Parts: sequence; C-alpha cells; structure tokens
Amino acid sequence: MIYWGLRCPPTVVPMTAKSPDAVSLTSATKHFGPVRAVDGLTLAIPRGQTVALLGPNGAGKSTTIALLLGLLPPDSGRAALFGLDPEQAVRQGLVGAMPQEGGLIPRVTVRELLAFVSGTYAAPLPLDRVLALARIGDLRDRRVDRLSGGQAQRVRFAMAVCGDPGLIVLDEPTAALDVEARREFWDGMRGLASQGKTILFSTHYLDEADEHADRVVVLGHGRVIADGTSAEIKRAVALTTVSVTADGESAWLATLPGVRHMEIRGGRVHLRSGDSDATVMALARAGAVRGLEVVPADLEDAFVALTAKENA
Amino acid sequence: MWGYVRLELIRTMRDGGYVIFGIVMPVVMYLVFTNLGLAPGDRHDAAIYTMVSMAAYGALGGAFNNGSGIAEDRAAGWLRQLRLTPLTPAQVVAGKVVTGVAGVVPSIAAVLLTGLLVNHVTLPPQRWLAIVVLLWAGTVPFSLLGLGNGYRLSGQSAAMANIATMLTLAILGGLWVPVENFPSWLRAIAEWTPSNSYAGLSWRIAFGDVPTVRQVVILSAWLLVFAVYAVYGYRRAGRRA
Repeated sequence: MIYWGLRCPPTVVPMTAKSPDAVSLTSATKHFGPVRAVDGLTLAIPRGQTVALLGPNGAGKSTTIALLLGLLPPDSGRAALFGLDPEQAVRQGLVGAMPQEGGLIPRVTVRELLAFVSGTYAAPLPLDRVLALARIGDLRDRRVDRLSGGQAQRVRFAMAVCGDPGLIVLDEPTAALDVEARREFWDGMRGLASQGKTILFSTHYLDEADEHADRVVVLGHGRVIADGTSAEIKRAVALTTVSVTADGESAWLATLPGVRHMEIRGGRVHLRSGDSDATVMALARAGAVRGLEVVPADLEDAFVALTAKENA
Repeated sequence: MWGYVRLELIRTMRDGGYVIFGIVMPVVMYLVFTNLGLAPGDRHDAAIYTMVSMAAYGALGGAFNNGSGIAEDRAAGWLRQLRLTPLTPAQVVAGKVVTGVAGVVPSIAAVLLTGLLVNHVTLPPQRWLAIVVLLWAGTVPFSLLGLGNGYRLSGQSAAMANIATMLTLAILGGLWVPVENFPSWLRAIAEWTPSNSYAGLSWRIAFGDVPTVRQVVILSAWLLVFAVYAVYGYRRAGRRA
C-alpha cells in the first residue's frame, strides 16, 4: 500500500485528559462479508477543525462515519469521540449527526420535531436560532412529510445542530440538492464553523471539500490515501498541466523534465508536470512553445491521481 | 423520554389508520350490532356484552397499530436518528411501550362511553372500574406481538401482518360474533386464543362473575410467548440497524 499521508496520523492517539481529540479512529476495521469497507483506518480530528471526508462511492465514507458515531461496532480497532466511547459521547449530547438519508417521520410539524430533538439535549440552542441557522423559519408549522427535498435536507440539518453539540457529523449533506440549495446549505454551515464547532462532513463533490474544509481526508478502499489541506493535496500530487499545440511527432515531449504523464487530445498536448517551471523552460529551449497554457491542478485532478495510484 | 412519548402520541392521533381501526370502527360496529338486534339475548345484556367485545376489538387495533409504527419508523431511518440523540435505547423502547399503552385508552374509552351514553349501559361502579383496568392492562400481550412484527418485518409487510393478525384474533376470539355461535370445533380453537381470554375476563366481570383461572393462565402464557417474540424481533432489528 502506498501511503500518501502528508501529515502522518499518529499511531498512538494522544489521550491527554485535558482536551482529547474530537474524533479519533485507531486502526478501525469493518468487514461486510468478504468486503473490507473500512481497512485499518486511523484518523484524529482536533477540536475546532472542519474536515471533509472525500472519496468515490464505496470508498468507505459512510461506514467510517457509522463507526465513529457508534452506529456500527468495529471488527477491530477503536473509535472515540472527545476521549469517550462514541455511544457515551452521544448520550452526553456532545454529538449531532445527519445520516446520509432518512430521519424524518410523517405526521409531525417541523417545530414539533425540532422541539423534541432539542429536548433530548441538556443545553440546546433556542428554537428560533435553529430555525434561522437552517433557514427554515417559514417552514416551522409545515408537516415534515410535505417538504421538498431541499427543505427536508435543511430540517435534517437542523436536527443535527439543534442540541448545540461540539461535534457535528454530516454524511453527504448536499447529495440530492440542486446548486442553489447547496449554496444556501453552506451559508448556514459557515456560521457554525465560525463558532468553533468541530465539523466532519463527507462528500464526493470536490469543490465542496476544497471550499469549505480546513482539511481534506481522502479515502479509497477503506483507507486514508491522503490527508492535508486541499492546497497540500494538490501540491503533493504535483499536477500542474502544461499544454501546447501539437506539431508533428510529439512523443519526445513526455521525456521533458518534470513531465509525469502525457496526453494528446484535439491537437493539443497536455503534460502533467511535477515541476512546471522546468517543463516550460525545456519547451522554450526546444522551440515547442505554441499556444502555451499552464493550469494548476484542481482537487479533482489530485483526487483522480490519488485514487489511480491507490488502484495501481 | 416524556418528550418522546408526547411526540409519538401526537403522531398516533394524526394517524388515520389508528383513528379508523382503533376508534371509529369499533364504535360504529358497536352501534350497528346492538341496534340491529344482531347480538343474542336481552337487549341490555347484549349492549354490555358487545360493549366489552368492541372495546377489546378497538384496543387490539390500537395495540397492533403501535407495532406497525415501529416498522415505519425503521424504514424512515427514525430509529437510527433516535440513536444519534442523547436518548438511551432503553428510553426509546420504554417510550414506545408507554405510547402503546396510552394509545389504547381512547379506543376503550370511546366504546365504553358509547355504551354508557348511547346504549344506556348501567353497571355498578366497581365493575366499570374492573372492566376498564382489565381491558387496558390486557392489551400488553397484543402490544408485544405487534412490536415483534414491527421489529421483525419491514414497513408494508409489518402493517399487513399486524392488520391480518388483529382481525384474525378479533374474529376467532369471538369479539365480532360470540364463540357460542361458532361450530364446536372452531369454538374449541377459539377458547385457546389470547383475544378470547382477554375479552373473557371483562365479560365475566360485566355479568357479575369472577374471571376463570383458565382465562388468566391462557392470557399469561400468551404474554410470555409474545414477550419472547418481541425481544427476538428487537435483537434481530438491532443487528440489522
């Protein structure tokens, strides 16, 4: 296994009595029959971070979240929240979570539902704050079973945050939302992050991880394959794309300094380079600069490269 | 936990299935049976006998409906959402049981009040009290059977199974037609059902008798069987959640 960790997760999670990490998974493993959904995963999230769990479908995101929330017991390894057993942390009201789907029941109003969930926590937020935070003030007396997809998602978000927990876990919170609804959702989230909450969300939208997380943890086949800020991850895979217009025989361009990968598409040569300066200089010396374009990698490129390495 | 009970009761009262099967139908059937002269014997006796039958029938409807709700909740991801709140699993299960026990009260009350106010049933106060208590407490085995189905089966099939079980127990137990009118082989079966013993306790009280040991033993035995079944269903549901 190639480990692409940028910040190697500690093998022994520091458990100081003062401030244990908000989330700590230690060599957690979970099988479903022959499938290893989570494979020796170690992850520590200090308090106050906003972390994106990024990965394609089947990477183990939802299982990882189920393990750390105590919804599933790990086959081996351990999960802890604020230094406590996950179930205990949930009982103490330290956690609010929004599973990938479900959680809404028919025949109650938004207000009745949120009042109930708030009431299970010792020190919940005032209902009006919650309604404002989730932007559902106008829906308070609507029946939960008569909401649109986007409205329902905001109510589910409100259920996760209404108890004012220190850790908020959201499993693909914006899946099934349109662009506008996604934007509104993240507006609400930003307010929470600024209050020092620890937030962990999973997504397969790379732009969301890039834009909204302090730290991106990339999962593949139930393992952490990269861990760092989105800038660090882009840098680590070092994939600036240098492209020029093709002119005759171009195979030699692949041997230029820094070039790791070459592709010819529509008369253009695209070079993925680990050292774009050197590549451009070499192109110039060879007199091959025609229609030069230098584009820094986006997270998607990084992601594709990382998962490709992992599969290799 | 009381917040949970409150929420569940709000949902129950807004549930059309509960209102129809648990309250409206028993009252309507009671009025039809007693005022069309379909019940045997003296008119006042018939009003008393059928009042107990229909209150028992309504209570069965309420008890089983509560169990169907569990399956619906599981399908909606509500049980998982509850596990993510500070409520303990014991509080959740206890809350659901309390909801079931409270949910049968309107069914029993509606039929007994119809008996009192419309059919002018007169009984000594202590018999009224005994009937209310026995009809109420006696629903526990049926609540457990309904919960077992709710935990073990998925949404739609749990609701179907519960309605089918409820109607079978109601008819076979002699709640619609007295078992005295059954063919003898069917009557022999009927007298082993939990529903016949359940209503039997109150029928005996209503006419000034003491419930038989046989009725108490049969209902208690079914209580045990259904409790084991509910626990088995809950464990299975827990493994799948």
